[in-house]
Amino acid sequence: MLRYALRRVLWAIPTLLATSLVLFLVTTLAPDPATRGDGGAPVDEARRARFLDLPRLFNTDPQDVRSRVAAAVAHVASGDAWHEEGARELDRLGGAALPYVLPTLEALPPDERGRVAVALAPVAQRMGLRDAQSLSRPDAAVLFWTHFWDDRALDFTRTGVERAVQRLVEHGSDLRESDLVALDTYALPELVAAMSTTTDGVALERLTRLANHAAGRGPVLRPDASPARVRRAVADWKEWWFVHATDFVALDGPERAVAMVTETRYGKWLRRAASGELGVSAIDGEPIADKLRARAPVTLTVCALAMLASWALAVPIGALGAWWHGRRFDLASSAVLFVLYATPTFTIAEALRRTTAGHAVAGARMALAVAALAAGSLATLSRWQRAAMLDVVGQDFVRTAHAKGLPAWRVALVHALRNALMPTVTLAGMHLPVLLGGAFVVEEVFGLHGVGFETLRAIEGHDTAWLMAVILACAVAVTAGLVASDLLYGVLDPRVREELVRRQGRPAA
Amino acid sequence: MSGEPPYDPDASETIDLARRKEGPNPPPPAREPSEAGSVVVESLRQAQRAAAPYLTMTRIAFARLARDRLARAGALVLACLMLLAVFADVLASDRPVACRWDGVVYLMPNVTQPPALRGLDVARMRREEEPGDWVIPPLVAHGPRSPAEGEALVAPLHAGHPLGTDAQGRDVFARVVHGARTAFVVGLGASAVLVLIGVVLGGLAGFVGGAVDALVARAVEALTAIPTLVLVLVVEALVPHPTTATLLWTIALTRWTELARLVRAEVLLALGNDYVTAARALGASPPRVLWRHVLPNAIGPAIVAAAFGIASVVLVEAAVDFLRVGSPDTMASWGEAMGEARLHAGAWWLVVFPGLALLATLVALNLVGEAARDALDPRLGASGPTVPGA
Repeated sequence: MLRYALRRVLWAIPTLLATSLVLFLVTTLAPDPATRGDGGAPVDEARRARFLDLPRLFNTDPQDVRSRVAAAVAHVASGDAWHEEGARELDRLGGAALPYVLPTLEALPPDERGRVAVALAPVAQRMGLRDAQSLSRPDAAVLFWTHFWDDRALDFTRTGVERAVQRLVEHGSDLRESDLVALDTYALPELVAAMSTTTDGVALERLTRLANHAAGRGPVLRPDASPARVRRAVADWKEWWFVHATDFVALDGPERAVAMVTETRYGKWLRRAASGELGVSAIDGEPIADKLRARAPVTLTVCALAMLASWALAVPIGALGAWWHGRRFDLASSAVLFVLYATPTFTIAEALRRTTAGHAVAGARMALAVAALAAGSLATLSRWQRAAMLDVVGQDFVRTAHAKGLPAWRVALVHALRNALMPTVTLAGMHLPVLLGGAFVVEEVFGLHGVGFETLRAIEGHDTAWLMAVILACAVAVTAGLVASDLLYGVLDPRVREELVRRQGRPAA
Repeated sequence: MSGEPPYDPDASETIDLARRKEGPNPPPPAREPSEAGSVVVESLRQAQRAAAPYLTMTRIAFARLARDRLARAGALVLACLMLLAVFADVLASDRPVACRWDGVVYLMPNVTQPPALRGLDVARMRREEEPGDWVIPPLVAHGPRSPAEGEALVAPLHAGHPLGTDAQGRDVFARVVHGARTAFVVGLGASAVLVLIGVVLGGLAGFVGGAVDALVARAVEALTAIPTLVLVLVVEALVPHPTTATLLWTIALTRWTELARLVRAEVLLALGNDYVTAARALGASPPRVLWRHVLPNAIGPAIVAAAFGIASVVLVEAAVDFLRVGSPDTMASWGEAMGEARLHAGAWWLVVFPGLALLATLVALNLVGEAARDALDPRLGASGPTVPGA
């Protein structure tokens, strides 16, 4: 049994990967902001946030701080048409760029060296070392940066920064803070990482202030910030870092090979989805994961209750219909269920809402929503149950049981129904997607604030992040449900698990 | 659908391969037309004619369908709704069916939308008619999109609106009739595509096996896990200008999985048969074995899946439009009309008429689908039960 369970669970992984690929293709349907015409920095930033600057599935040349610096320096040094953009880029890359610029400064011809050194002046000002004005002369700037690198090269190591940030978090002082200011963006990886490990208000204030100073953006927390505000700010920083990490970190050796796969639109999207970091809502700036966690219980409750209710009714109705095949109960229930089967869930829900006027209480609305949803699946499930029971009733072992002189109820319950339940169990798993879709409808009709309700608001507000998160969550939930129903099937029927184990892991289709 | 279908030997050939046809071989070319020979041939022919009609699965299926009163009723309802869809422009349009305007005769301007009549509708043409001009209006002179001024929420049978108007003054009859067109275009189109994909991929998966099978199995599982309604909602929200085609393709490209599963199972079943072994032994190429001996077994499931597929596509389309009501991109659709009714509690006609049309379509499609499934099920006897819900 354990082997069967393990095998089935493992087989869900390639399925989830394939699902993720499909969902990724869906994300590519969203329009590219660049096609709307007006270019410029905000559009570039919007494109980056959705990784539209990256190739889809494979990145032959992943960009990192080194390649970005090289490109920017080339523009600045040659003084070509893009030298202003190059200088801006060097300013943005900041301290992280220094280990890749300063050692090569010597090798440049004097005039180019001067232009690069001057372009770096705003960085020196941000680091609190020198006024940018005083570095506007090329020879002064070159002199300053040469000395700087001779003195400070040893500070620019990852382990050094890590230790500095750790000490700042543990017993922060202004002096340690100014040390980190002098590292500028070079310290960002450690700063952002430390934000999610500490809960201390003062430390968070220092961390966010440092990060904001270096990056020139992002929220700064006050020491007395509420937990919700802290969570939101940290999520914002992590989101930004997730998009911009390669601006400030170099990719070496194996990292570079891995980056060929991870530094792609699909890789980024998948990594974000797998880690549960689903971005922030475009409507209210809340982290999607928090929102999802708050809304999901409503939807799951509605689904679970509807599932239970429809099962509790469908099994007896379907089984009795088949047991009394062709009799009055069978004909009547079949006819009613047939019409119910063809009726859309939203019609049932709308009819229920209209006929029951007093639905102001949340509990009552929930009950009505469950009833509407259950009515739809009741029809499907009981029809399956009836067909399965009909199959079983005609078989020899049932006749044998009758012939043995067993009472009819015993034959019906023990011999027939037990076997007839199995197909319904698997089919119930397949019914999950329909149930989830139905939950969206009833939530909207009865005004329950679940995932479906929120999704429709997200559609109105063009909240792409939420939409993608929702469809991903649905797919994961359904896959989990399918695995669960297969496992249940394996418990009920030993033949199934033997077959799966024998066939070297092809799950029963 | 009543009575025996004419005997058509070719029809059996495509369906029934389990029972290899022994049916009428063409008479061998008589080499020496002798009197005795012709007598033998003639008597053989008579015997053939006298013999009971050769039973193929198609004939059995048609016989069963013809006997099924509910299936006949369903087919009738479907035929009526399809007529509505086809002649939607004649039944409800703001352009005339035919007219003479400025000395030019226009035939069916409601369909052709000639540029010369842009900006004109029946009411205005009536008002501005000059001697010599004439206008033949359609049954209801309102289009599904054109709101009538100051006629919001008119009750049925008032002011020339047989089924009333909605909150924007759009004629409900026109919206129901044109909604039928939307429903059938989406339903038929999407299920045609999904049947094609399902048969091809399911057939290949079963026939080729190995890596192809594994790949298709993964794709099937992956797509099964995504709720259709949610997917369609999300796709329509992401695409800049969603149209009916967006909906159609989204459903068609994701909902072929169930059919592929069925077809694969049928193919695997058929591959075990002796006639397949025989065909291979005779040197038939794999494509020929697949096309002539294996795939025909999958036609039954494909037909049934198409019938239920149309129903589920219509259902999804209605549900999506119901939820997306108010979005500027929606076509005239039953679901949208009912969604509108949610906002106006008193206007029962907004619920009842589109709701009835939708329910009739779904019930009829399910009746036909059920009947087709029973009729094509070889396990049921030649007079098997066709109770709904079986």
